[in-house]
Amino acid sequence: MNRGVVLFAHNNRQVDYVRMAILAAKLANKNLNVPVSLITDPSTIDWAKESKVEKSMTDVFDKIIITQRPDDTKNIKNYHDGKSKTPAPFTNGNRYSVWDHTPYERTLMIDTDYLTLTDNLSQYWDADEDLLISPRYNDIQGMERTGYLDTHISETGIEMLWATTVMFTKNENTKTFFNLVEHIKTKYRMYSDVYRFNPMLYRNDIAFSVAKHIMNGYQNIDEYCLPDIFSTADRDVLVDVKDGRLKFLIAQNNTDGYVATSVSNKDVHVMNKFSIMRNYDKLMELAQ
Amino acid sequence: MQEQLDKALEFANYRQSFAIQRKTLKEKIDAKLTYGFSGGIFKIDRSLLNFVEMLINKGRTENVVLLDVNDNPILVEKLEAFRDEVFDRYFTATFEYLEEYQKIKKSRSVETLLEV
Repeated sequence: MNRGVVLFAHNNRQVDYVRMAILAAKLANKNLNVPVSLITDPSTIDWAKESKVEKSMTDVFDKIIITQRPDDTKNIKNYHDGKSKTPAPFTNGNRYSVWDHTPYERTLMIDTDYLTLTDNLSQYWDADEDLLISPRYNDIQGMERTGYLDTHISETGIEMLWATTVMFTKNENTKTFFNLVEHIKTKYRMYSDVYRFNPMLYRNDIAFSVAKHIMNGYQNIDEYCLPDIFSTADRDVLVDVKDGRLKFLIAQNNTDGYVATSVSNKDVHVMNKFSIMRNYDKLMELAQ
Repeated sequence: MQEQLDKALEFANYRQSFAIQRKTLKEKIDAKLTYGFSGGIFKIDRSLLNFVEMLINKGRTENVVLLDVNDNPILVEKLEAFRDEVFDRYFTATFEYLEEYQKIKKSRSVETLLEV
């Protein structure tokens, strides 16, 4: 069974997802030792040509799959960078199409802000499960900053899964799952009534959670899952990368202050995309 | 008094960084002690190590069924090879844990903690 990683990148005017995808791909390729493919759209490719990263793309990606850009122009979210924030379209509503586009029989789909700094996810390639999703958000600071809406899709809703990392085998079961995710996206408001979540912003995490809940017979089942998503929030700031260590300032919940910490040899989801871009060259050195 | 208060706040800051570093290290080692084998996922801990060693001591070295983290039955054809692998991973991870933990404990400021 051939294996590989798939990333999605649809740029907006604020965030250069394709450059982040190049970094995420290089790290995944180095540490998981599998090919990485990209799913993107024509306008993002045009920007890649303009910003002269096309050569890096062809070097790092096994396959570049060009698809239609999802119409998420009304799906606006605030991208935080420490204490400042910028509203921009959140264009990632086509993750369900990974089943159709992936060139691999066993696929690991990761977000472009997920930095694979270890081979830990390699332990799951052969797990006897068609579909593995991470069941938990693991905040770098611990439970203190983790709110109920990080663990559940709403105050009264089901448990939230994190679609930051998803592994699946391409077969009829997973095809049904991803078709269901597409259906939930199409009928997002209807499902928000049934599952009591806020429909203002489309989130893959919610659509995947609802689809998994339905597919599991409306219950929680003991099944294999991927590791917790070790994350730094977008209010945190990646300040430096040195000697293999990522140095962060972690925003405090109850004050305006920050606590300093560092991370090395651990996969990390860095939600502050702007701080990834500021440290881009240093992060790229980790992939050499 | 102000000087003492500043010192206390500085120490509080250090303790917060220390707590995060220690949590991150523990999780890093936990991940290294996760072992995917023959379709199952095993957590390498003292219980698994003892059980495997006990089976080998009893002469059960081939075609043994072990229950993994989800209590799913996993057939281990060559138990001694499995034992060698899990022991190796356990010692590698725990030595790394010890080494890094000692570095964290010895770090007495936020600046030195960040270098661990």
